[in-house]
Amino acid sequence: MNTTNLLVFDGLLLFSIVGLAWASLATTDERRSVILFMAFGLVLAVAWGRLLAPDVALAEAAIGAGLSGALLLAAVRKQSPGSSHTHANPDRNYSESGAKVVLQWLVTLLCAALAGTLAWALLHALSSAPHDTLPRAISDNLVASGVSNPVTAVLLNFRAYDTLLELAVLLTAVLGIFSLGQTTPGYQPAGPVFDGLVRWLVPVLILTAGYLLWVGAHAPGGAFQAGATLAAAGVVLRLTGRSRIGLPDGFVLRIIMAAGVGVFLLVGLTLLLLGRPFLGYPPAWAGALILLIETAAMLSIAATLLLAFVGGQPQSTAVNAAANRQREENSRC
Amino acid sequence: MTDAMIGLVALPLTGAVATLLLPRSATVVAIGAGLATTIAAALLLFGVANQGALHYEMGGWSTGLGITLRADGLSALLLMMTSLVALAASVYASAYFSAASERARFWPLWLLLWTSLNALFLSGDLFNLYVTLELLGLSAVALATLGGKRAAAEAALRYLLVGLLGSMLFLAGVSLIYAGYGTLDLATLPRVVEPGPIAWTALAMMTTGLLLKTALFPLHFWLPPAHASAPAPVSAVLSALVVKAAFYLVLRLWLDVFANVVTPVAANLLGLLGACAVLWGSWRALQAERLKLLAAWSTVAQLGYLFLFFPLLLALPPGPTRDLAAGGLVMLALTHGFAKAGLFLAIGVIQQRCGHDTIRDLDGTAQHLPATTFAIALAGVALIGLPPSGAFLGKWQLLAGAVETGQWLWLVVTATGSLLAAAYIFRVLGHAFGHQPYPNQPVTVAREEWPALLLTAMAALVLGLGGAPVWKLLEIGT
Repeated sequence: MNTTNLLVFDGLLLFSIVGLAWASLATTDERRSVILFMAFGLVLAVAWGRLLAPDVALAEAAIGAGLSGALLLAAVRKQSPGSSHTHANPDRNYSESGAKVVLQWLVTLLCAALAGTLAWALLHALSSAPHDTLPRAISDNLVASGVSNPVTAVLLNFRAYDTLLELAVLLTAVLGIFSLGQTTPGYQPAGPVFDGLVRWLVPVLILTAGYLLWVGAHAPGGAFQAGATLAAAGVVLRLTGRSRIGLPDGFVLRIIMAAGVGVFLLVGLTLLLLGRPFLGYPPAWAGALILLIETAAMLSIAATLLLAFVGGQPQSTAVNAAANRQREENSRC
Repeated sequence: MTDAMIGLVALPLTGAVATLLLPRSATVVAIGAGLATTIAAALLLFGVANQGALHYEMGGWSTGLGITLRADGLSALLLMMTSLVALAASVYASAYFSAASERARFWPLWLLLWTSLNALFLSGDLFNLYVTLELLGLSAVALATLGGKRAAAEAALRYLLVGLLGSMLFLAGVSLIYAGYGTLDLATLPRVVEPGPIAWTALAMMTTGLLLKTALFPLHFWLPPAHASAPAPVSAVLSALVVKAAFYLVLRLWLDVFANVVTPVAANLLGLLGACAVLWGSWRALQAERLKLLAAWSTVAQLGYLFLFFPLLLALPPGPTRDLAAGGLVMLALTHGFAKAGLFLAIGVIQQRCGHDTIRDLDGTAQHLPATTFAIALAGVALIGLPPSGAFLGKWQLLAGAVETGQWLWLVVTATGSLLAAAYIFRVLGHAFGHQPYPNQPVTVAREEWPALLLTAMAALVLGLGGAPVWKLLEIGT
C-alpha cells in the first residue's frame, strides 16, 4: 500500500475514533451508548495495530472492547427495571437538567483543557532526543529472559513484580465484587440457532485461549488476552441461559481465584530460598517458569472477569439444590 | 536485611492467599502473617539505621530494566508505623467481626491492603507506584463497603470514583515522564528532570491525582462519609495510613524527584489549601454530631497541617534548620497516624458496647468504659498538640519554621486549628462523664480496649518523649 492510501486510512481511523467516542457520550440511551463504546474499542484496537503495537491491540480488543462491553451491558441490564424513577417528579427534573447541562459543559471544558495541556507537554517530550537506553537494554537481555516476545519478557520477567501486584489487584476486585454483589438472574434459554452456534463457538474460544497463551512466548499474546478469551467462552455460555458456565464453586473456585497470585509468589519465594533474587528465574528455566505462571494467571484472570460478569459469588450447588427443594415443598403446600 | 524488604510485601500477600483458601482459620493465619510482617518492618528499620539506605533489584535485573525497591529513613519509619497500626487494628478486628462469613470476607482484603501499603512505601519506580496505588485504592474501597449499609456502599462508590480519577491523573503524569526522560526510576529522575513543560505538566497531574487521594481541601468531600461509614478497624487504617500513603508520594515528588522544578509560589498554594483544610476541617469536626464523623473531619484538618510545611521547606535553605522542619513534618504525620487509628478503634468500642456513637448521648461512657475514654483523651492530647505528644514536637518545628522565614500566616492558622481541636476534644470528653460510680476494673474488654490504648499512648507519650531518633533516621536519604 502506498503512503497516500495509508494516510486516507489513518484519517478515517482518527475520524471514526473521535466520532464514536462523541456518539457514545452524546446518546442518552445507555444500551446504545455501551454498544457505541464497544465499537469505539474495536476501532481503537485497529489504531493500535497501525501503531505497530499488536499486543496492545489484542488486549484492547479482548478486554477494552469485548469484556468491558459485556460488563457494562450486564450493569445496564441490572439497573434498567428501576431506572423509571427519574421521571417521577417533572419540576425537580427541570431544575436538575439545567444543572446537568452546566455540569456537562464544565466537565467538557475541563477535559479539553486537560487534553490540550497533555498534548502540549507530549509534543515537547516527543521533540526532544528519543530515549533508547531502555529498549536497547531489553533487546540486549532478551536472550536471558526465556521468551522471545519483548512484551512478554517485560511483563513476566524484567518487570514481573508489577504483574504480580496487578494480579493482586484483580484478586482484590473479585473479592470486592463478592462483598457487594449478588449474582444477577440468568438469561432465558437461547433459540436453537444461537444455541447451535455456541456449541461450536465455545470449544473454538477455549482453543484460541490456549493458543494465545502458548504463542505469547514469541509473538503477540499472553495470559491477559488468553484469560479474556477464556472468559468470553463463559459469557457466551451464560447468554444462552446456562447456569453452569464452567465455574466451579467453593474451595475449587477459591483456588482458581488465588492461583495467579499464589503460583507467582510460590515461584518467587522458592527462587529466593534457592539463593536467587526474588522472581529471578535461572535463564535455562525461565521459559518453563513463565509458562507455568502464565497458565495460572490465565485461569485467575478468566475467573475474575467471569465473576465480574455474573456479578457476585455463585451459590454452591448444595445451596441451590436446597433452595430448589424448598421451593418445591412450598409449591406443594 | 534486603530480605526484609521482600518479606514486607510477600508475607502479607501470602497471608491474603492463605486466608482466602482457609476461611475457617483465617483469623489465626492473618494475625500470624501480621506479626511476621511487623518483625520484617522492625528488621528493616534496624537495617536502615545501621547500614544506611537499602535497595533491592527485583529479579536481579539492573535498575531501569527491572524494578528496584528502595528503603531510606523516611520509608522505614512509615513502614514501621504501618505495621504497628495495622497489627493493633488486626487484634481489634479479630474481636470486632463476630460472624464467620464477615471474617472470611474481611481478612484477605485486609492483608491485600497491608501488602499495597508496604509495596508503596518500598517502591522506587513510578509505574510500580501506580500499580500499588491501584491495589491500595481498590482494597480500601472493598473494605469500606463491609459496613454493609446503603450509606456505606454509596460512600464507597464515590470513594472508588475519586480514587480512579486520582490514579488516572497519576498515570498520565507517569507516561509523560517516561516519554520525556526515558526512565521511571525515582533515584535516577532527580538527576535528569529539568524545569519545562514536561516536568510542570507531569508534576501538576501527579500532584492533583495524589491530592484527591489524600483529601486535601477542597478535594476532601469524599473522605468524611467514606471514613465514617466503614467498619471501625477499617476506618482506623483508612484515616491513619491510606491517606498518608498518597501524602508520602506528594512529599517524595516535591522534595526529591522534582526538587529543582517546584517553585515557592506552588508551595504557597499547597500551604494555603492546607490552611483552609485546618480551619474548615476543625470547624466541621466541632459541629459533628457523631464521633466517627468528628474523627473523619479531624483527619481532613490534620492533613492540612502537613501541607503547611511545604512553603517553609521551600523557603528554608538546605541545612540543620530545614532538616529540623522536615523532621517535624514526619513527626506530625506519625503522631497523627497512631492517634487517629487509636481514636477510631476507641470509637468502635463505644459504638459496639453502647450501640451508638452520638456525642450528645455519651453520658456515662467514662464510667462504663474508663480505659476507652482514657484512650480518646490521649488521642486528643496528640490531636491538639499538647506536650508530651509527638504532635507537640511537630507543631513546634512548624511554628519555629514560620518564625524563621517570616511566614506569620501559618502561625495564626496553627494556633487557631489547635484551639478548635481542643474545643472538639473537650466537647466529647465533657459529654462522656456521667454521675455513676466507677467500676473496679478500668479495662473491661481486653482484646477490644488494649489496641486503642497502646496506639494512643504511642502517639501521646512514646513519640513525644523518645522522638529524637526520628530526626536521626531522616538524615538517611536515598
